[in-house]
Amino acid sequence: MIEVKDMHKTYFMGKIKVPALRGVTFGVQDGEFLAIMGPSGSGKSTLMHLMGCLDYPTEGEYWIDGREISSISDDRLAEIRNQKIGFVFQQFNLLSRTTILQNVEVPLIYRGVNLRRRRQLAKEALEKVGLGHRLTHKPNEISGGQKQRVAIARALVNNPAIILADEPTGNLDSKTGQEILEIFTDLNSQGHTIVLVTHEKEIAEYARRVIELRDGRILKDEVVV
Amino acid sequence: MILETLRIALRSMTSNKLRTFLSMLGIIIGVAAVIAIVSIGTGARGEVTSQIANLGSNTININPGIQRGEGGRISRPYTDIFTLELGENILNYSPAVKALVPVGQGSALLISGSTNIRATVVGTGPDYQAINDYYPELGRFLQHEDLQQNSNVVILGSEVADDLFGSGDPLGRKVRLSYGNRTHIFTVFGVMEEKSMGLGGNFNAQVYIPITTYMQKVANTRYVDSYTAQAGSSEEAKIAVGQIEYFLTKSLDGSDKFRLTSQDQIIEVIDQVTNTLNIMLGGIAGISLLVGGIGIMNIMLVSVTERTREIGIRKALGAKRRHIMRQFLIEALSLGGIGGVIGIFFGRLGAVGIARFGGWAPVVSVVSVLLALGFALLVGLFFGIYPAYKASRLDPVKALSYE
Ligand SMILES: Nc1ncnc2c1ncn2[C@@H]1O[C@H](COP(=O)(O)OP(=O)(O)OP(=O)(O)O)[C@@H](O)[C@H]1O
Ligand SMILES: [Mg+2]
Repeated sequence: MIEVKDMHKTYFMGKIKVPALRGVTFGVQDGEFLAIMGPSGSGKSTLMHLMGCLDYPTEGEYWIDGREISSISDDRLAEIRNQKIGFVFQQFNLLSRTTILQNVEVPLIYRGVNLRRRRQLAKEALEKVGLGHRLTHKPNEISGGQKQRVAIARALVNNPAIILADEPTGNLDSKTGQEILEIFTDLNSQGHTIVLVTHEKEIAEYARRVIELRDGRILKDEVVV
Repeated sequence: MILETLRIALRSMTSNKLRTFLSMLGIIIGVAAVIAIVSIGTGARGEVTSQIANLGSNTININPGIQRGEGGRISRPYTDIFTLELGENILNYSPAVKALVPVGQGSALLISGSTNIRATVVGTGPDYQAINDYYPELGRFLQHEDLQQNSNVVILGSEVADDLFGSGDPLGRKVRLSYGNRTHIFTVFGVMEEKSMGLGGNFNAQVYIPITTYMQKVANTRYVDSYTAQAGSSEEAKIAVGQIEYFLTKSLDGSDKFRLTSQDQIIEVIDQVTNTLNIMLGGIAGISLLVGGIGIMNIMLVSVTERTREIGIRKALGAKRRHIMRQFLIEALSLGGIGGVIGIFFGRLGAVGIARFGGWAPVVSVVSVLLALGFALLVGLFFGIYPAYKASRLDPVKALSYE
């Protein structure tokens, strides 16, 4: 379903080239729970942005659902992000001025779903993460763990093919972090594909496959038993 | 979708009300200026035109010219040049002039019983009525026989009649008219209708006697003060001005001895003044709308920068360029629109205030309101385009990592 072929990403800071990825190749099947590990600066976030169609690779190919993204337009990429990808970020990235329910509705708005259906789907997604009772709160009125649940609900709401989570527990205490990871495990057992970026070994243990990056290259790619 | 975007826009505007208001100030002032200008323009023009119509139609005033002060002499009008014969000759030699009356006037004391008042005595002839569109309400106006016989006939303006006789019937009553150091007895033969005050002064506070009586008995002069001529139409009035000018220049031996004032000229001057005023105020409106637009652009650029992260999030969740563009354009339009509505409110207030001051009915036309609102929206749209475009072009990865 996802094919990464000899993918490179080089950032340009003025004249200085910063190679963040230098030839990465792997595939992800439907229903996998994959962790991407590696030290700081090894290119994890860069890889996640590319897998999430937020950016184009400098070199190489990225295939998602049988399409290579290098040649498709910005707006088509937005459509792919909207329909096939759900993001969960370390900083939660909720819209602070709108309620929790409205936050979860955003992907549905861009998909053109009407208001009634939107409300319903957003409520269902929030119920899935155990927040069916706090719909009208603003993000600053709930805890970090709850924020991350809202973010997961938002990632889920369009029923995407893959959920990408970049250090989703990085801003949470270990107990709350565990609860979040349980949610991912649950979602995975329901058939969602999950890619989890982390630099902690214990967290990677929730996954069933671990890819380890070092300096923009794959060091290890192994299935956990 | 649009509704949703509008809600987002309103929410972001109300989240910092003072800032929003300040950034709308230019638009508010601009729109208020447009509304006020249009209203004042139409109001003042209407007022002035009605005053001019009050003068009678297509009239031309012929007054003595101003003598240049030479060698320490003060400049003053020529005297002793306008005779009754000259007036008749103007009428005879200027085919475009339909009618002409001589006018001599001075201030006199009118006495009836124990009441006395000071009034302007106007010596003139029967055509005075038609030329000034001014007719008697009681009795009659001056007639040719009155002029031929130098009769002591007086027609009272409505205020004078009121002051002297109150509710009593003035017709046939005797009035003593004291002018200089002599007093004459006049008989009231008519009372004029009320005429609203205009550029011609207050007709109601004058009394009218035959020009011949005025010259020979009252003022003791062989000359009149001015003539009022009338042409058949405003085109003929232009021709008449030329003819009178030609005739008087020849017969008085110089064009500086008289002055002609036609209604057209007055209207032209007033038009020029109002035009200049409109251009000035229009300029102010234009500049404040421009400044308002720049204010909107500025606040929108700030808003885009502040919300870079939000834009990144929205893009990650599937917003296309046009969605982001639309969101910020609607926000800019709302700024313009709300500023416009507030401006309309203040513009109306200004228009009503100035109309009260100027004594005309306040007119705030639907057209001017729509025009001003349209301008405000247009300015919002135009100056919102660049910030919205900028927002829509943000790179999602960079926007997401913006602190
Ligand atoms: N926008 C950018 N411009 C220039 N260099 C960048 C940019 N983003 C990332 N880099 C560089 O690319 C390399 C990989 O960065 P990346 O964020 O992918 O690392 P990471 O593995 O996610 O690190 P961390 O664990 O700290 O989040 C780093 O050297 C980083 O400095
Ligand atoms: Mg990272």
